[in-house]
Amino acid sequence: MNPPKLFLRALSVAGAFSLWWLSSGTIFNPILVPPPHKVAVNLWGMTADGEILFHAWASLRRVIVGYAFGSVLGILTGVAVARIRIAEDMLEPPLQFVRNITPVAIIPLAVNAFGLEEPSKYFVIIYSTIIPVVFNTAAGVASTPQIRVRAAMCLGAGRWDIFARVVLPSAWPFILTGLRVALGFAFMGVVAAEMIAAETGVGYLIMQSRNMLLPEQMFSGLFLLGLIGLVTDRAFQFTIGRLMRRYMLQTAAFD
Amino acid sequence: MSWRVLRLEGVGKDFTRADGGVAQVLRDVTLTVERGAFFTLLGPSGCGKSTLLNIVAGFEEATTGGVSLDDNPVTAPGTDRTVIFQDVSNALFPWMNARENVEFGPKMARLGAQVRNERADKYLRLVGLDADSGKFPFELSGGMKQRIQIARALANDPDILLMDEPFAALDAITKKHLQIEFRKIWDETGKTIFYITHDIFEALLLSTHLAVMTAGPEAGIKEVFQLDLQEPRSPSNPDFAAMYSRVESLIDEEVQRMRAR
Repeated sequence: MNPPKLFLRALSVAGAFSLWWLSSGTIFNPILVPPPHKVAVNLWGMTADGEILFHAWASLRRVIVGYAFGSVLGILTGVAVARIRIAEDMLEPPLQFVRNITPVAIIPLAVNAFGLEEPSKYFVIIYSTIIPVVFNTAAGVASTPQIRVRAAMCLGAGRWDIFARVVLPSAWPFILTGLRVALGFAFMGVVAAEMIAAETGVGYLIMQSRNMLLPEQMFSGLFLLGLIGLVTDRAFQFTIGRLMRRYMLQTAAFD
Repeated sequence: MSWRVLRLEGVGKDFTRADGGVAQVLRDVTLTVERGAFFTLLGPSGCGKSTLLNIVAGFEEATTGGVSLDDNPVTAPGTDRTVIFQDVSNALFPWMNARENVEFGPKMARLGAQVRNERADKYLRLVGLDADSGKFPFELSGGMKQRIQIARALANDPDILLMDEPFAALDAITKKHLQIEFRKIWDETGKTIFYITHDIFEALLLSTHLAVMTAGPEAGIKEVFQLDLQEPRSPSNPDFAAMYSRVESLIDEEVQRMRAR
């Protein structure tokens, strides 16, 4: 980053904090919307006594499990929809219908079907993850250039080699875009689910703090959410940059 | 596989149009290509040249007639015929470097690493890219990418190279160099070439045989020439110049006919 860019970014962060600080006590009631320094003190205390880590890990663990299942299922389904006629005919209509139902709206159903414990959270995360992964994977597989497949046929590739060595690598940029979007969706899903029915997790922390009139703690939860999202997205990109770089060469950029 | 002639007999191709009607693109195309020939199909744009090449490649099925190597019908893609596409960015595997692209065919043939390596070395050297074998397609110019595609095809040791306007998208200088080099490669490897172009100059510079197509729809073969031109070929040679005007007038006739319709 060159100096002017760095300066502008620092300025924007400082500006946001200033606005927050100025509005607390003027526009907003300072008890309900506390100023940044009070939140910072609270955040420090919660970090020191391990509460932050406890809730962050509760949410993260749910996301890891649900996201892993959702991703694998999503890729397999997406490939099937794009490559197998029967799968397309049978899966496309329900998927097109279900994709309109946001993960938040599915939470009451998840609780009814899978109870108040972990399985309902996993269900919501898998549901949040699977939709973007399926559609991106299917689009990627379907958009493999025809002549690339034909070139491979001339070079002696059989059906399996064409799929594994040509179609799938051609689709990776699409699939990875879907996986990245899905990671964000997974966090949105888990936080919403924790707000409605949970006793741990960042979503629970935020909702509980509001109910118990602990606004500093509520803001700490929000800050934590932003931080976790940022770190996981960066980690995702870093990993992709290391492991999948050669497959991203076919697209302009990925950041 | 040992064979003597590639035969196209009465090849016709119909397409269903968007309005449900049937468009006859090719009609009764009959050609004989001797093994080792540099056979060029020349025709105005949209006359169905690429469709014909796709049928020979086995990508598309002829509606009538058929293609055969001696008496064996050609119905599917095979390693005996390799296509060189014009759209080289999509034809190459962008996630593989030059060497990995060239080794793809030998890998599919389940050849050992050492043999693959030797093949890649040999053909990368032949197309003059041995110093760039570690580069990925996005790091290479259009001309260099096309060289890789040629090396990749040759490393698979096909009998016939089917070339679909391979140099048409390149700039004039690169095109000229590649044409000259490719003729040398043909000389050295002795492959049979089935070449498609709309460029008369290119056709006369490269080919041993030239078939001029009629304008589509219902395109067919207008005339076939055997080109015994003075070597090295040059537009300033009298026989080259005479042949050029002759072929040009044939093409002009077809373009006029197409416009009159």
